[in-house]
Amino acid sequence: MMPSARTRALLVNFFRRELAVRYLGSATGLAWALLHPLALLAVYHFVFTKVFRAGAFGGTSFLLFVAVALWPWLAAQEALQRATVSIAGYAGLIRKVAFPHELIIYASIGATFALHFAGYLVVLLALALLGEPVHLAGLLLALPLWCVTAIAVTGMAFLLASLQVFVRDVEHVLMPVLMIMMYLTPILYPLSLVPEELRAWVAANPFAWLVARLREGLLDGRLALRWSDAAMMAGAVVILLAGRWIFLRLSPHFEDFV
Amino acid sequence: MSALLSVADVGKDYAKIATTGGRLRLVWDLLRGRGAEHVFRALDGVSFELRRGASLGVIGENGAGKSTLLKIVAGVIRPTRGTVVVHGRVGALLELGSGFHPEYTGLANIDLAAALLGLTPGEIAAKRDEIIAFADIGQHIHEPIKHYSSGMVVRLGFAVATTLRPDLLITDEVLAVGDESFQKKCVAWMERFLDDGGTLLFCSHSMYHVQKLCRAALWLKDGRVEQYGSASDVTQAYLAFHEEKSAGAKKPIAVAQAAATGVYAIQSLELAPADAVAQGHDLMLSGTVFSPDDRPPVVGIGIVRADGTPIYGFTTDMDGVVPHSLGAGLYAFSVTLQRLPLLPGKYFVRAHAVDPEGLRVFDSVERALFVRGETRELGLVRLAHGWTKSIG
Repeated sequence: MMPSARTRALLVNFFRRELAVRYLGSATGLAWALLHPLALLAVYHFVFTKVFRAGAFGGTSFLLFVAVALWPWLAAQEALQRATVSIAGYAGLIRKVAFPHELIIYASIGATFALHFAGYLVVLLALALLGEPVHLAGLLLALPLWCVTAIAVTGMAFLLASLQVFVRDVEHVLMPVLMIMMYLTPILYPLSLVPEELRAWVAANPFAWLVARLREGLLDGRLALRWSDAAMMAGAVVILLAGRWIFLRLSPHFEDFV
Repeated sequence: MSALLSVADVGKDYAKIATTGGRLRLVWDLLRGRGAEHVFRALDGVSFELRRGASLGVIGENGAGKSTLLKIVAGVIRPTRGTVVVHGRVGALLELGSGFHPEYTGLANIDLAAALLGLTPGEIAAKRDEIIAFADIGQHIHEPIKHYSSGMVVRLGFAVATTLRPDLLITDEVLAVGDESFQKKCVAWMERFLDDGGTLLFCSHSMYHVQKLCRAALWLKDGRVEQYGSASDVTQAYLAFHEEKSAGAKKPIAVAQAAATGVYAIQSLELAPADAVAQGHDLMLSGTVFSPDDRPPVVGIGIVRADGTPIYGFTTDMDGVVPHSLGAGLYAFSVTLQRLPLLPGKYFVRAHAVDPEGLRVFDSVERALFVRGETRELGLVRLAHGWTKSIG
């Protein structure tokens, strides 16, 4: 069913509100969306290439190797964190106006991913201009991969956000879990360096698949689609539908708890 | 003509939850499609219909379920039981600043509110000036809402809600916050809205506004309909209930032991008509009083407002009247209040048994007195008056 004109107008309004209030509203503004990952990248560069003296991986500098994977991870992480607490930010509306509550989640996730994807483009272009061997054609693959990620993250956000309304601990549990997940995902290291007996476990992480596919496209210039892409897409849609089902079950009761 | 709004047997339960474990349990129950285990019934068995062009006032104490009812009609919450059917566009102004974002400027909030009401960006742009003019808050429109006073928020909210010209306008206590001139503007707007065929669901603690704007009223008490009928009947009953409550309802005291203990005691007190008297009609009070020493006692009659405020009192000895002996120590009295000038509402009539010297009150008996009528006069009694038609 097509969303009504009202729903679309609301979604646009919420989306702009998310961008404005969260990023553009603060003094440092949009810069933060770019500065935070850049600063992280610089720190990793310092720790891993200067202190630990990690060499280049397969002919790619550590900087490019990490940059390709770091942005989508940060996008997913921030999207989950922000979406989880997003319902409370709309408490005033939820208590007084009838509207589809799921729009809040779409707007929150959409804004985070849009900003981080913009940052991703800027950084990749900058690295390309600095002479790093980026295959910019790989962006053709990267864009759908980001979309698959956003779909799965939206499903997870539906679950976390609706639980957060009832149980306030969700956001506090989420932080350390995401931190641990980041180090268990081959973002700062290639899967090939993981000891053989553990490799299957690390590879089982869907985000490891995403990182591997992004590197194939952007570092190796291999753009061919695979069956695993379809499976991941299907999995993401299942997560989205399951999360949304839970959200729609719980959202009529938000009014009493936000 | 069919009903614009029909509310049938609507009820709403809220979960009663104390612990985090309880919250997890609730989530699990909700996911399984069940209701909460321990609930508070905020609303139960509420039914009414509203035809196009009608106006209904919802009154009741705090916590009676008024806001819950309006939220259900507005679609903000789903009723636990019953159905709500609305044929038309609903504009709701629930409490302060319906759906405003505190960080947004007034202008940005106009856009948001208009989008929530279902206007397209083009329509919003066309209506913006009208809204700003109605709200009349000057340059504050460019400031974030969080810097507004509550009055300004309501002005803006009212301006937005009314500009859409909804089929059904729901307002919850909006008039309580605005200043005098804005209240007048709102009331004038709502009167014009009703004249133009609009339908109003109006919640207020101001009986004056309910009577002025609504033909019918619904009195909610503890989530249930206490009374539903014409606005003047329901508001009068509601006010009487409150006056009585604040006075802590006095019950007539027992008089059976009067002879043994040697006190003068009222044995009976009757009102005619018994249930209610129409404003401006005669009211007859009659009764009997017991005298332990068979001397004729003095009888005092008093009329008080339901909260105990005295209105008028007189005694038999003041008027040089002696109760008529019935024998066996009983004396009868009877008095008529001609063309009763009390305004509609609830009062109490008291009869006092006083010793023959007229010094000490031994006993008092009280009966409720309802005065019925339709009037816009204010106060307790009608004072005879005549306007001078031309001066000089």
